[in-house]
Amino acid sequence: MKAVGARVPRYDGVAHVTGRTVFVEDVEIPGVAWVKALRSPHHHATITKLDTRPAEQMKGVRAVVTAADVPLNVYGHLSALGIPGDEPLLADAEVRYLGQPIAVVAADDEQTAQAAVDAIEIEFEERPALFDVRKAFDPDAPQIHQWGNWYPHFEAGMDRRQIRKGDIDAAFAQADVIVQGVYRPAAIEQLPLETQVCQVVPEANGRLTIYSCTQALYFSMGVVAAHLQQPLNKFKFVGGTVGGGFGGKVDTATETLCSLLALKSGRPTKWRWTREEEFLCSSTRAPWHMEMADAVTKDGWILGRRMITLHDSGAYARFSPYGVTKHAFHHTGAYTIPNLHFDGWCVFTNRTPTSAMRGFGVTSVSFATETHLSRIAEELGIDPFELRLKNANRIGDTSPNGVVYTDPSTVPTILAIADHLGHELPADYRTMTSEPRSDGLLPEHLVAQVGNPEDH
Amino acid sequence: MTVHKGRGIAAIEYPTGMNQNGDPSQAWIKVKPDGRIDVFAGTSDIGNGSKTIQSQIVAETIGVPYEWITYDNSNTDSSPVCTGTFASRATFVAGMAVKKAAERVRERILDIAGKELEIDPADLDIVDGEVIAKGSPQTKISVPDVAAAATWGHGELITGAGAQLKPYAAIVEPETGKVDLPPHSAISYASCAAEVEVDDETGEVRVTRLVQCFDVGRAINPTLVEGQIEGGAIQGLGLGVLETSYPYYPGMEHRGGQFGSYLAPGMEDLPVMDTVLIENPSVDGPYGAKGIGEMANNPQPPAIATAVHDAVGVWVTELPITPERVLRALQRKAAGEGEPTRKGKLIVYDEELSLAAVAHPDAPVRLVVDA
Repeated sequence: MKAVGARVPRYDGVAHVTGRTVFVEDVEIPGVAWVKALRSPHHHATITKLDTRPAEQMKGVRAVVTAADVPLNVYGHLSALGIPGDEPLLADAEVRYLGQPIAVVAADDEQTAQAAVDAIEIEFEERPALFDVRKAFDPDAPQIHQWGNWYPHFEAGMDRRQIRKGDIDAAFAQADVIVQGVYRPAAIEQLPLETQVCQVVPEANGRLTIYSCTQALYFSMGVVAAHLQQPLNKFKFVGGTVGGGFGGKVDTATETLCSLLALKSGRPTKWRWTREEEFLCSSTRAPWHMEMADAVTKDGWILGRRMITLHDSGAYARFSPYGVTKHAFHHTGAYTIPNLHFDGWCVFTNRTPTSAMRGFGVTSVSFATETHLSRIAEELGIDPFELRLKNANRIGDTSPNGVVYTDPSTVPTILAIADHLGHELPADYRTMTSEPRSDGLLPEHLVAQVGNPEDH
Repeated sequence: MTVHKGRGIAAIEYPTGMNQNGDPSQAWIKVKPDGRIDVFAGTSDIGNGSKTIQSQIVAETIGVPYEWITYDNSNTDSSPVCTGTFASRATFVAGMAVKKAAERVRERILDIAGKELEIDPADLDIVDGEVIAKGSPQTKISVPDVAAAATWGHGELITGAGAQLKPYAAIVEPETGKVDLPPHSAISYASCAAEVEVDDETGEVRVTRLVQCFDVGRAINPTLVEGQIEGGAIQGLGLGVLETSYPYYPGMEHRGGQFGSYLAPGMEDLPVMDTVLIENPSVDGPYGAKGIGEMANNPQPPAIATAVHDAVGVWVTELPITPERVLRALQRKAAGEGEPTRKGKLIVYDEELSLAAVAHPDAPVRLVVDA
C-alpha cells in the first residue's frame, strides 16, 4: 500500500480520544512545588516598592524569584533575525500591561503559593496608558516604551517596514477609479484546551528536565538557556505532544521561571496557568489597523495599491516585527499588483503583548484585500470571480518584494470554486490558466505594468 | 423581522515555512533488527498531525508499511533540532528532514541487501517491506532479513540522518523590501465561498455554508488535511463573527476570562462545509506537499463580510461582525448615512475609522492618496 495519500488513522488518535495520552499536566512528579505569579494589576505603572520577604518567610514556601534572580532578564527571542530584546522576563522598574509577571513563588501546594503571592508587598505609581494604535503617533500620546511608541529597529534603522514597487504615482494618475477603505480585525485568543503548563525537575547531575507544552522544543530550549546563561546540555526538554497551540505556545511562557525556581529551591516545580490566566495574561492574536487605496481601471485591472498598516504589538515586541514583515511581503494577496507603496508599523500599546497565531501576519491582510476586492467589484459592476481571475498572479509575475512566482494556483482555485458553486463564467475566463498572460484579456496599454517581467 | 441571505467569495495565498527562512529541521532514523523503523525528530505535534504525516513520509520513502514506523519526538536528548511547529512548516520543512533521513536509510538497506543477494544495489527496489531485483521480482529479500543480516551478520547499524534548511533570505533593499532569495519554501492557495443569513431585527449573522477549495500541493493524508481545513474554517468563522478579546476596545472592560464569557464557535455555529482538494504539486516539498495549516482560517472572514453585504447591503469591516455592529450599520443606512464619500474618481469608505479621523491633526502617519 502506498503510505503517501492514504487515509491512515492519526498516529496518536486512539490515545487522545480515550484519555490515555500523557500531556505535561499528566506527568506525576513526587514532591513537586506549585508555582504562582504576582502579576501587575495596572495597565501601566512604575513599581515603587517590592518586598518579597513576607512571602519568603511563610511556611511551605520554597523559593521566590524576582527580576534580580534572572541571569539575563531581557532576551530578544528573535535576536538571530536582528530583532533586539525589549521584554523583561520579570518586570523590574515598570509594568506595561495588566497581568505582567513581577515575581513568582514556589510552594508546597497551590493554596500556599497563592497566599505567598498575596503576601508580597508591592506599591505602584500609575502612569497614563495608550490603547488605540491610531493615537500612538499623536504629539500628546503617552510614551509607553523605551524605544518610543513604535518599533524602530527594522533594517538600516528604519521605523517601519516598507514596500516600494513600480511607479505608484503613475498608477494612481492612470486609474479610472480609486477605492479606499479601512479594515480592522480584532484581538482574539488562540484558545487551546491545554493552558500554559510546565514542570521542571532539577536532576542529581545538575541538569534540568523540563516538561514543556511548547510548539517548538529547541526554540524554547534556546530561550531558557539564554535567560539562564547556560549551555544546551544543561537541559532536557520533554514534550512534543501539545494540547493545542495555534501559535500561542511559540513564546516561552513558563519554562524559564519554573527552571529558576527549581534551581533556587532544589525542588521540582509545576506551573499550570488557570483558564483565567490563559485568557487574560497570555498573548493574543494581534489586532490590525489597515488602510488601503487601490487604483483601478473601469474594466477591473488593479494598477496600484497604497497601504498603511498599524500592527498592535501590545506592550512588547515579541514576534511582532516578524509578523509585520510577513504581512508586507503578502499585502497584495493572491494577485499581481504592479505598483505598490506600503508602510507598516509595529505600534506599542498597553494591551497584553500580541504574538503569533495561526496565519500570523497574513490573516489580517487576507481580510483587508478580499473585502476590498469585493467592494471594487461592486463599484465597477464586475463579477467578483472575474475581477479576481483577471488580476490573479501568474507564473512569471513578481511578488511585492520582487520574487518570481513559479507555481501559483490562484486561477485554478477560483475556477474550482466557481465550478463547485455552478457559477457561470465567460469562455475566456473559464479556460484561464496560471500560464503567463497571452489570452488577449490584457489591454495593450497595460502590458508594461501588469504583464510578465520578461515582457518589459 | 426578515432573514436575508447572502453569499461572498474570497481567494487567498499563504507561504509555507518561516518568513525569510533560516529555520532548520533535522531528523534521524534507526532500523531495529527485525526491520522496524524508529524515527527521531523534534517536531511538536500540536494536533496538526505531524507524527502521522512524517511517519507516512518515512514509510513511503523507505518502502515499508506505515505500521512499521515508530515516531519519537518526545525529548531533546534523542531528537535533533526542529525550529518548531508554526509557520505551516511541519509537513514541508520537517517533512523534508525525515524524507532525507529515510532516503539515507533506504540506501543503506539496499547496500546490505545487495551484498546478501550479490546484486548491484542500483538494480534493487524496496516495495512493501521487500527488497526486490528490478525486472526479476522473484529475486528478493525482506527488509526484516536485511536488518537481521546487518545486525547479526555484518555488525552494522542501519541508520540515516537528514536536515532541511532553506537559507536565510535577506532584505537587501530596506526601502523597497527587495529580498535576495525567495523568502518562503512554497506558497499555497485557496478559495472560499460563504453563505450567510442575516437577521435585520437582531443583527445576527449565521454562516450556513462554507465551500472551500485548497491547493494542498499533495495530500499526504487527505483525512488529516480536510480536518485542518474544516477546523481552521471554524476558527475563521470565530474571527469573522464571534470572537474578540476586548469587546469595546480601546475600552478595556468586559474582557472575557472564562469560556462562558468569551464567544468561541460552538457546535450550534457550525455551517455545512464542502471541502475540495486541489493537488498542484510544489516543486521541492515532500511528495509535492505544501503547508496549509495556518491559512485554513484566513479566507472565511472576508467571504463572510462580503456575504453580509450581499445580504443586507452594509459593509462591516471591523471584526467581529457582531449583531451590534450590523444593527448600527443598518441604522446608519436607514438614515441615509454610511455611504462612501465620492470626490472625482476617489471613493472613500470607512472614513470615520481612519487615522485621518481619529489621530491628532499633527500626527505624522496618514494614508495619503492623490486622486
